[in-house]
Amino acid sequence: MNRNHLLLIACLVAVMPSVHSDVRADEKQPALQLPDPVRAVLKGHCVRCHGEQKPKGEVRLDDLEKLEPSTLRDLLGRLQEAVHFREMPPEGAKQLAPEAFEVLMAWSGKEVRRLGGADLTDKLRLPNYGNAVDHAKLFSGQIKDKPYTPARRWLVSPQIFRERVLDSLRVEGPARKQPLHGVASPFALPERSGVRDYDLTPLDGTHFVALRANAALLADKVIGSLRIKLGEPREKVFANPKDRWTPPSVGDGKRPLMDAFEQVMTKKTSPSEDELTAAIQLQFNRELARPASDAEATRYMKLMRSVEKIAGNTESLRKMLEAVWLESEFVYRLEFGAGEPDSFGRKQLSPREASYAIAYALGDKAPDAALVKAANEGRLNTRADYEREVKRLLADLVSHKGPVDSLLSREHLESYISTPHPKIVRFFREFFGYPLAVRVFKDTERSDGIYRVPDRGTSGTPGFLIVEADRVVARIVETDRSVFESLLTTDQYFVYHNMDSEKGAKLIAGWRIVYDTLKDTNWRKDPDGVAKEHAALLKQYVSPTGIKGKRGKGVHETDLLRLMKLFEETFGRGGRPFTTFPWAHGNRFWHSPLYNMAPTPAEGNYGKEGVFDYEPVQPFKVPNRKGILTHPAWLIAHAQNSATDPIRRGKWIREKLLAGMVPDVPITVDAQIPEHKDKTLRERLDLATNKQVCWKCHQHMNPLGLAFEMYDDFGRFRTAENLEHPDNVIAKAKFKNGADTYKTASVVSTGRLDGTGDSNLDGDVKDAIDLIDRLAKSERVRQSIIRHAFRFYLGRNEMLNDSQTLIDADRAYVNSGGSFKAVIVSMLTSDSFMYRK
Amino acid sequence: MLNRRSFISQTVAATSGLTLAPWLLETLGAQASGRAPMRFIFMHKGNGLFPQVMVPPSLRREDLEKERRKEAFSVDLAQHDLPAWMQPVARHKNHMTILQGLSGKMCTTGHHTWQSSLGVYRANEALTSIKWATVDFELARLFPSPLDHIELACFPHDGGNARGNVNGIETGFSARGPQQPNLAYGSPKVALRELFRVVSNERREQVQHELERMVLGFTAGNHLNLAANLQGAERTKIANYAESIDAVRTRNGRLEAMADVIRRHLPRLEDRYLADDINTIDRQTGHVEILLATLISGMTNVVTFTVDELGTLYTGLRGLERELINLHDVGHGRGVGTLSADAVRTEIRIQHMSLIDTIIRRLKAAPEADGNMFDNTMLFYFPDNGETHHSSGVEWPFLVFSGRNSRLNIAGRYIRLPAHGQVGHKTLGNWYTTILNAYGNPITHYGDLDLALERMRMNQRGPIREFLASR
Repeated sequence: MNRNHLLLIACLVAVMPSVHSDVRADEKQPALQLPDPVRAVLKGHCVRCHGEQKPKGEVRLDDLEKLEPSTLRDLLGRLQEAVHFREMPPEGAKQLAPEAFEVLMAWSGKEVRRLGGADLTDKLRLPNYGNAVDHAKLFSGQIKDKPYTPARRWLVSPQIFRERVLDSLRVEGPARKQPLHGVASPFALPERSGVRDYDLTPLDGTHFVALRANAALLADKVIGSLRIKLGEPREKVFANPKDRWTPPSVGDGKRPLMDAFEQVMTKKTSPSEDELTAAIQLQFNRELARPASDAEATRYMKLMRSVEKIAGNTESLRKMLEAVWLESEFVYRLEFGAGEPDSFGRKQLSPREASYAIAYALGDKAPDAALVKAANEGRLNTRADYEREVKRLLADLVSHKGPVDSLLSREHLESYISTPHPKIVRFFREFFGYPLAVRVFKDTERSDGIYRVPDRGTSGTPGFLIVEADRVVARIVETDRSVFESLLTTDQYFVYHNMDSEKGAKLIAGWRIVYDTLKDTNWRKDPDGVAKEHAALLKQYVSPTGIKGKRGKGVHETDLLRLMKLFEETFGRGGRPFTTFPWAHGNRFWHSPLYNMAPTPAEGNYGKEGVFDYEPVQPFKVPNRKGILTHPAWLIAHAQNSATDPIRRGKWIREKLLAGMVPDVPITVDAQIPEHKDKTLRERLDLATNKQVCWKCHQHMNPLGLAFEMYDDFGRFRTAENLEHPDNVIAKAKFKNGADTYKTASVVSTGRLDGTGDSNLDGDVKDAIDLIDRLAKSERVRQSIIRHAFRFYLGRNEMLNDSQTLIDADRAYVNSGGSFKAVIVSMLTSDSFMYRK
Repeated sequence: MLNRRSFISQTVAATSGLTLAPWLLETLGAQASGRAPMRFIFMHKGNGLFPQVMVPPSLRREDLEKERRKEAFSVDLAQHDLPAWMQPVARHKNHMTILQGLSGKMCTTGHHTWQSSLGVYRANEALTSIKWATVDFELARLFPSPLDHIELACFPHDGGNARGNVNGIETGFSARGPQQPNLAYGSPKVALRELFRVVSNERREQVQHELERMVLGFTAGNHLNLAANLQGAERTKIANYAESIDAVRTRNGRLEAMADVIRRHLPRLEDRYLADDINTIDRQTGHVEILLATLISGMTNVVTFTVDELGTLYTGLRGLERELINLHDVGHGRGVGTLSADAVRTEIRIQHMSLIDTIIRRLKAAPEADGNMFDNTMLFYFPDNGETHHSSGVEWPFLVFSGRNSRLNIAGRYIRLPAHGQVGHKTLGNWYTTILNAYGNPITHYGDLDLALERMRMNQRGPIREFLASR
């Protein structure tokens, strides 16, 4: 029995009668159906432990008829899970025969559905059930079922939505980068560590509110654009002076882009059927990239005629435009397959569907010209066709190039280099979940004043850390060798890097020349004279305009005294200054202590802190770190507000790297770590989770997560833990936003790895570094990452019949020396990707 | 939580033979009668609200000393004079609570706070910073109505947080849910047009209403047809959408069914209140008329009203009619004409109080059950950013007006809660938890926690139990 699944027992145990009472007494469900075969199975396998006398886990299965519907629903749901995952009957007890298993599963599923719950089949589609499919079986090679993806609609991501809006307005060039004022993205991906974009989300009322407002606005913009083209002043068309943007009405060479719309608007009489049809077809093509069918054209024409009768031609055009923008197809990716089903009942994606599927797997934009051409010319049918196009797009380092996360605030984007395939980096940032650092509200004082919380116009310190983690990932992805192992074990990091390595090194070398030349001059007493005497030197190495001898009025201006003091603080103590002066306007780089580097030198504080030694050539080695899991961004993202979070960190490793399952905290458990002013978090956690009933779950998390206690909740390496209790304050903060000094206790960061299936790797670990080294060598970890990549590229959980796809992807990775692009090619040419059923 | 059905059933099952609010008559039919829903008005201002201006001048020396030291105490307002600027609402003193000592350090503070003061989290311009529905929307869910909730705003012209068109429909201070900012109506004109289109006498608006109906019907029909041919999860993906559109149509239908009632309470606004170049005072007055009409007609039970913001340029203020008052400058201590910044602030608050007086008087004049609509109303007046212009959230003064059916027992009192960091201190989160608990949402704690209090190991979860009326 897979012991990860033992965890589910805890959930079963945790479901107490009468926890839920949300089904009203006057809404009685029909009586429970308990057929004889089911009764027999329960009696033969369950009731002995879960009967009237001392029921185990306080769960009784002998009086199901007496339970309230909501309690029964939840209990049967848990029963179904426990049986499915072979947790019940427990080891050593008489096991269910296949027929009995089927009887119990079918009955419990039917009853749960009848009572308004989600049965296991539905649940297995949810992201937190991704690992429910047995890992060993999945990679055993014994599954011969043909892979396919269920025919589906998949809601577009916010990024794809934006591209679709721009496409529908025919916006080209730099204008595509501008914000779309007034157009609200109806979709927000769930904020979680792990793949976020699944094909499960249905359109709902919230989406409709935004879509409706967008449709009205976009139609107004199109009509406004034409009114302006037809001679009306822009000021008259759009009263708001801050929002007079319009989509283009003409394209290259003054080619009219909306001729058919214009025809309807300018017609003095009722437009002809042909004119209406042309307008409808134009809008379908602009927005849905396909012609309207005859039936659709007829329906829309009827709508236009109805509107025309009461409001005229322009309104009839407006309402048609709005209605097409309200088509669900505008926001769904359609993947149904086409043609005759094969002998396994599967249909291959149509060439058009395939072109979108490939384009959206590798980026956010609609298919490029080559893909469209291939689809139109019948060259997007075979596996080789898919492979040709996928490889072409992966080799294209220009078309998709851009920032990984355009939602980060400007100051962060400005310091970020773009990457050729941001979507690949996006997979890893979702997988690792480090962007959640921006969501964990931290206490600035506890960071000794260096942590800037996200605020107006800024993603604050976590924004910089996320960008720095993105850079680590982007570099490894671009190198594309041993990608997984490198992500887990690299010691090469980026810190502050806001300038190209070569340029930064040259700049600092020049500053050093200045310092060496001037350090023995009279710069302290006569900065004016020294500056004047060495004006050429200063102009060459510090500023093209030279520097002022005296300190200027502006607090951001550089004068010689200021400069030499900084150089003395850094070069003079064996370090190097950062390439941006600390007093420079807009300088926000103060977070080096989160990497255990000395703080950025701050005027007034010189000589009081460690030596700041900025490395301009990046990435560079940072001591006591190993890979993304020891990056401050990941550590903060997987921490509490004011403390580390060994449980969350351990759960992450169990689920993301070891393909295990850990259930959520049972709702009957008040999950609080007890207070104790003299104990470390580890010790307090032990007090809470060492009880047998808790340990069933926590044994799968704590030993993994506790190894990371060598880092605090800001991601700082530590050997001692502050016992942060008011009674333990040794010294109050010395400055505003500074940290109090507390008593400390030694940190213990030992742990234990289990679940790799490799006896050479499983066992006690001395700390997180040791743990990570072992994880990086694990086949199961590699395959677990492949499983998550599958979810990212397919938008769903893997099923057992995806086995061959996963094995092929794993093999592609191994055979290519750890190329993630090879994994992508393998997945996008798999049956899982190509076939629908 | 109550859903609409249980609410209606409770309402129908309650008392009979009493005067009903118009909305109830219309919605439930002549035979129905019963307990009216509670109504909530959240009226917030920009530029902070100084705690010191809230203090009754007649406090005894010992209480003044406690006030100075920010120690807890409470006095009966009936025994005290109100600060002079509160005179416009003095007649409602028995309904009034001056609540001091709450903090909101878990909110974005400073100049702009976005959804923070209503959501109790650090919101900013990034959608992802909106963590959950704001408290006004949570209350709207407890007391369903055809429009659920409306938000009116005197948007800023500048001040660093301009949203576009001050007369338009732009992002407000409320949130419908995570990452879902609400939209607010910027002018009485646009609010009147959008909210009362169903009863408009203007041909253009009638046509627009009809066209909207046609598009909704067309889109819903398309998707219902599509859904009919699908199964399982794929059916849900389309049917949900179709049903959402249908829900809007149903809501519109409900409004249409209430047309007579709505028409009776249609705001009668003179042209000056509907002008595009409307001054700030007229904008506020016009918004109050919209607010009253939507509440009294039963279109909504919750209104959030941004009476001003940091970047709202005041025009038309009493005694300063010819001045263009920049609130941001006032916040930085700059006076206007012969008035100091503090005096300008006072004039602005007096204006706000006169608006509140209008609201309360008019609600009191609307019969409902065995009393009037104000019996079932709570009005909260508070700053969107705490205690001052560059606030830190250490204080968040509230002025509350509650009718006799309020489920809080705080009316008629000046209450000073223990200061931030003192034992027993309460936050915005505690305050909203109290209100939600009182009206049927059993949430354990609403809002984010204050990490500084957490560092001090102070319990900051749960309602302020002393405020909950025994029932």
